[in-house]
Amino acid sequence: MNHSSTANGAAVAVSGKGIAAGTAERADPRQVLADRVDQLYGQMWLGILTTFAIGAIATLEFWEVRLRELVLFWWGLVLLITAASAGLLYAYRRSPDKGSNPEQWLRWLGIAALAAGANWGFAGAVFFPSHTDEQQVFLAFLLAGMMASGIPVYAASWPIFALYAAGIVAPFTYVLATFGNRLFTEIALLVPMFYAINVAIAYRLTQVFHSGYRLRHAYGRLTEDYSGLNQRLERQLVELDEARRQVEASGRKLQLFAERAPIAVLELDAQGAIKEVNHVAELLFGYAAAELVGRDFRFLVKPEFHEEFDRRWQRLVATHEPEAGVIRNPRRDGIDVVCEWTVTPLVNPEGTIVAVVAQGRDVTAQREAERVKKEFTSTLSHELRTPLTSIIGSLQLINTGVVGEVPTDVAELTVVAERNGQRLLDLINDLLDIEKIESGKLAMAPEVLAIDEVVREAMVLNKAFGERFKVRFEMRSGLPGREVLADRKRLLQVMTNLLSNAAKFSPEGGAVEIALEESGPNVHVAVQDGGPGIPEAFRSRIFGRFAQADSTATRQKGGTGLGLAICKRLVELMHGKIGFEDRAGGGTTFWFELPRN
Amino acid sequence: MPDRALNRICYVEDDEDIQRIVRLSLERVGKMTVEVVGDPTMAIEAIAAFKPDLVILDWMMPKLDGPALFRQMQQRPETSAIPVVFITAKASERDLDELMAMGVAATISKPFSPKDLPDQLREIWKKLP
Repeated sequence: MNHSSTANGAAVAVSGKGIAAGTAERADPRQVLADRVDQLYGQMWLGILTTFAIGAIATLEFWEVRLRELVLFWWGLVLLITAASAGLLYAYRRSPDKGSNPEQWLRWLGIAALAAGANWGFAGAVFFPSHTDEQQVFLAFLLAGMMASGIPVYAASWPIFALYAAGIVAPFTYVLATFGNRLFTEIALLVPMFYAINVAIAYRLTQVFHSGYRLRHAYGRLTEDYSGLNQRLERQLVELDEARRQVEASGRKLQLFAERAPIAVLELDAQGAIKEVNHVAELLFGYAAAELVGRDFRFLVKPEFHEEFDRRWQRLVATHEPEAGVIRNPRRDGIDVVCEWTVTPLVNPEGTIVAVVAQGRDVTAQREAERVKKEFTSTLSHELRTPLTSIIGSLQLINTGVVGEVPTDVAELTVVAERNGQRLLDLINDLLDIEKIESGKLAMAPEVLAIDEVVREAMVLNKAFGERFKVRFEMRSGLPGREVLADRKRLLQVMTNLLSNAAKFSPEGGAVEIALEESGPNVHVAVQDGGPGIPEAFRSRIFGRFAQADSTATRQKGGTGLGLAICKRLVELMHGKIGFEDRAGGGTTFWFELPRN
Repeated sequence: MPDRALNRICYVEDDEDIQRIVRLSLERVGKMTVEVVGDPTMAIEAIAAFKPDLVILDWMMPKLDGPALFRQMQQRPETSAIPVVFITAKASERDLDELMAMGVAATISKPFSPKDLPDQLREIWKKLP
């Protein structure tokens, strides 16, 4: 928090300087004018009251029977002007948007001031010649006072004061100058000078007010800017604090991940020295964390792997790319463990490695299990197939008749024995295939094949099987010349499975139709049977392992329930897809698609 | 393709059951002349004496396995030119590729069909140079 506030303080200072430099431009001239107008209207009531009160006193002073109409007329003007001014003031006060049009309000005020001034001037012009000397003195004082008192009232706008004072002075000066009295002529010469001095004072005052209001506005803006800045700073501080909390939280989370991970996690420095280890690492190697920290990681690598380790470490340091591999690690008790490692460098934005995280998984047991499984599969393959070769071979030789005729009953039994021996062999082969596919050990040998020829070959190979079920294979539409990239043996296996399935489920004397067509970038191979169709409940798991719709059929017709599962995996290994659909008029179409070469 | 039909076959196999089936298959179905050798250590002499058109070897045999016997044959001038076919229960493609790389003419995997074996061998024979 402390260091961040220092940084922000510097930022404020810089921004503050920028704001001060722009102060002069920051005051809106219209806003300043509106403020001055507001001041003028604010003092207006004073002018109205003064006009009314002094007007009343003057009316009494000038009252003479011979001048009755004239004095009353003047008093009427006073009332009219004060009433109109009061109305204007009322209108201004009630106006909801006085600030939006200050020029207009200033103009109205100018008219009111001119009217008030002219009214006093009118009094001077009319009553001065007609009254006694004492009253003339009163009038002169009155007019001088009214002019002088106009200064504070109209100081916020010197042109208004100039208008007002001109209204008083001009007629009075004229009357004085034309009175025919030398003293009055001399006074008439002085009055415009007083006028000029008063206007000059009003001008100065207006300037002072103007700059005062400008400054007030500018600083008002400045304050707004500062408070905006402050709010922004506050927000940033809150965000920074939140970010810090998040970083801390994810740090804790990472630490938890490392501590509780079911794999060994070691933090190394860029030289390979151990900085930290988690509990699993302690258990895996049989050393306490304190015994490992500070040691070189090579301590945990079997010497015969040091060369490889150094090579990979140098590559990691050079490229900053993670390394992964399996190595043997010595345990404290002298027994080796085989571990699968992922080693990841943590690089800061400057491109320096700050730490290297090594994650290791003990795969010793897994490796051993894989080895045992492989051995088992190999044994299964060899030890089962060898006796089966003898069994099936012997029966085949008997059934072909090359070793002589056998009684019919015996012949029937040897046929059954051979068929079931074959079934057992198929099951073993299918199991081995599935095992190979699922352990990822089935290597495809893709070559460019004429799909038409492979399909026809499969039909020939399975002809005898079809005949057993009294079913023919018929090519309905071929696709000569189209080539696919596929494994020949595996493609034949897929076709054999589909053809034998179709034969098994077709009615006696029926035909299984094979159709090849192009389907976009693929070749579509369809095998259509006239069988009973696929039961609804079985559809979703038809490509699963040991999938057979009807176990009675298995006994009658053979099959392991693995054929379609193998087909699906083989087709997918050849980058194709497989499926089935109901055939119009009964039966099912199994199809697969392979990408055209 | 060799200029004569396939006739004389020497089969080295320790399993007596398989021996009997192969002999019957080749003699009765294939009408060929067959010499069966049960002890692989005696095989090299038997082959040299019998002068077969083609030798069939089992892979897994006690004392001397098929590949070792094959290498012995290659070292003897009178047996080195005889084509060799392996019958094996080894299913792994890597194993079969290994055999082909050694110069074996063909491999037939167990279980084979005694009914088809003679035809299979004739096919192989036809494809030989």
